[in-house]
Amino acid sequence: MSAPSIANYVVKRPWLKRWMTPIAQWYTDAAGYRRLGLKIDDLIPEESETVQKAIKRLSSKEAYDRVFRIRRAVQCSISHTLLPPHEQTKPEEDVEYLSPIIREIEKEAKEREDLDNLVVRK
Amino acid sequence: MLSRSSLSRNAPRALSAGRRAMASAANPSFQYDVTEAAGVKVANREVAGPTGTLALVAKAGSRYQPFPGFADALEKFAFKTTLKRSALRITREVELLGGEISSTHSRENVVLRAKFLANDLPYFTELLAEVASQPKFADHELNEVVSHLLKYNQQAAFSNPENVALDAAHGVAFHRGLGSPVTPSPSSPYEKYLSADALAKYAKDAYAKSNVALVATGPNSADVSKWVGQFFKDLPTGTTDSQYKVQPSAASQYFGGEQRIASKIGNAVVIAFPGSSAFGTAGYKAEASVLAALLGGESTIKWTPGFSLLSQATKGFNQLYVSTKNLAYSDAGLFTVTLSGQAEQVGAASKNVVDALKKAAAGEVSSEDIKKAAALAKFRALESVQTLETGLEATGSGLIHGAKPYQIGEIAQAIEKVSEQQVKEVAKSFLTGKATLVSVGDVFHLPYAEDLGLTV
Repeated sequence: MSAPSIANYVVKRPWLKRWMTPIAQWYTDAAGYRRLGLKIDDLIPEESETVQKAIKRLSSKEAYDRVFRIRRAVQCSISHTLLPPHEQTKPEEDVEYLSPIIREIEKEAKEREDLDNLVVRK
Repeated sequence: MLSRSSLSRNAPRALSAGRRAMASAANPSFQYDVTEAAGVKVANREVAGPTGTLALVAKAGSRYQPFPGFADALEKFAFKTTLKRSALRITREVELLGGEISSTHSRENVVLRAKFLANDLPYFTELLAEVASQPKFADHELNEVVSHLLKYNQQAAFSNPENVALDAAHGVAFHRGLGSPVTPSPSSPYEKYLSADALAKYAKDAYAKSNVALVATGPNSADVSKWVGQFFKDLPTGTTDSQYKVQPSAASQYFGGEQRIASKIGNAVVIAFPGSSAFGTAGYKAEASVLAALLGGESTIKWTPGFSLLSQATKGFNQLYVSTKNLAYSDAGLFTVTLSGQAEQVGAASKNVVDALKKAAAGEVSSEDIKKAAALAKFRALESVQTLETGLEATGSGLIHGAKPYQIGEIAQAIEKVSEQQVKEVAKSFLTGKATLVSVGDVFHLPYAEDLGLTV
């Protein structure tokens, strides 16, 4: 599900991170999803088993909020409007809530695969 | 094949062995060495052989759970993901080593068991320590795995009429504590209490150092205490959240009463009386186990109904199963006669049970039969300690509940001392005291306590 990313490369180098952060913030804001009231993790394509499983593992409150945000954004999209500024997602609210679960599920799958292909040497 | 000569040579020896006092004192391999390592009680029985077993017995069964279903869920969460390893990795590693892991729970204990090749003792000690001290209790594991296991377990437990009747009998006899069901009923709203957080808090108290005992059998006692001392240092010291503590054990009180449950799963009647508690506790009465063997119902020998009073009395019923047991707990016991089978026959035979009990109380039983019953009771007590499945839990339970571990020789002596008069007395006390009667199934045919002449 992840596209190639230089994020890890940047984060490891503090000077580069300091330099890139404002650009990244500007870019994320310019992407426009925040103006529809979405969070970054709402944009992850749902059509995979991993993500479906991750959505099932959300707490009921988080799952409800996610559906609410998506429906509101679809409504905005249909009516060609943006949300009023106080309803738009603020940068500090725009946190990962689904990606950690997805990473955990991917780790589980990888572990299963590794164990399935285990070679025992004695 | 045994040749005839070897049989005849051994026969006198077998007879004389019965008269001789139990030879356990001379045979140290049946005794448990009790030590303490890292603050945890450890009992080990040295058995020479290539395999070993290790069991962690925690005083956290359904009697001590703060909310319904907690003991059950704690059992199902054993060997699931810990902070260090995933459940899958634990399973695969154990498969590679050729061991066996399992968990069970009873009214008083949650038991985690491992059987393994003796060389793998360090690995399995570490595994049990990890399961007890660093469980993860992931929310999704509860929802995706454990809650389903709980449901299957309930379905299995509640599709058996004897089980339903026995559970209800405990409820009627002891109300709370020992009376709370081992598995919550499928129609009870137990799910609302269960959450991974709550279970994690309960586990902290359930697996606290003072609340667990380790019981092992294996070739080397010193090894066991060495590895336990090393790995069990980090057991939790208890939970701070008083709501989810292991519930303090109020002394069990016997109430008695009657309950009728209409059901389509089959027919069962349980007639119960206050019995003997576990060996080594104040309420231990060896005569109750002798009376249980005397009433009996199940034959121990093929193709014969056996000597027991109930199997003789119910000879004519071909679709009936009867068994008598003394279920012993740490501070109380329940003496139960269970009948199951066709409704009419169960109804008719429960009258015979009370008649047999009256016969025993009046002393109209031959002393021959009482001798046979005492021998059977002795065999059963000793065998249950020697068999790993039951022996490990009994020993651990004895250790945590402050008493001593089961020591085989003493049980045998206690049962040998039982006199005919004592058996008569205990039967009399059952008839005069309050009884417990539970009927499950086609209650149209099943008796009321009054029909049987029991006071409830």
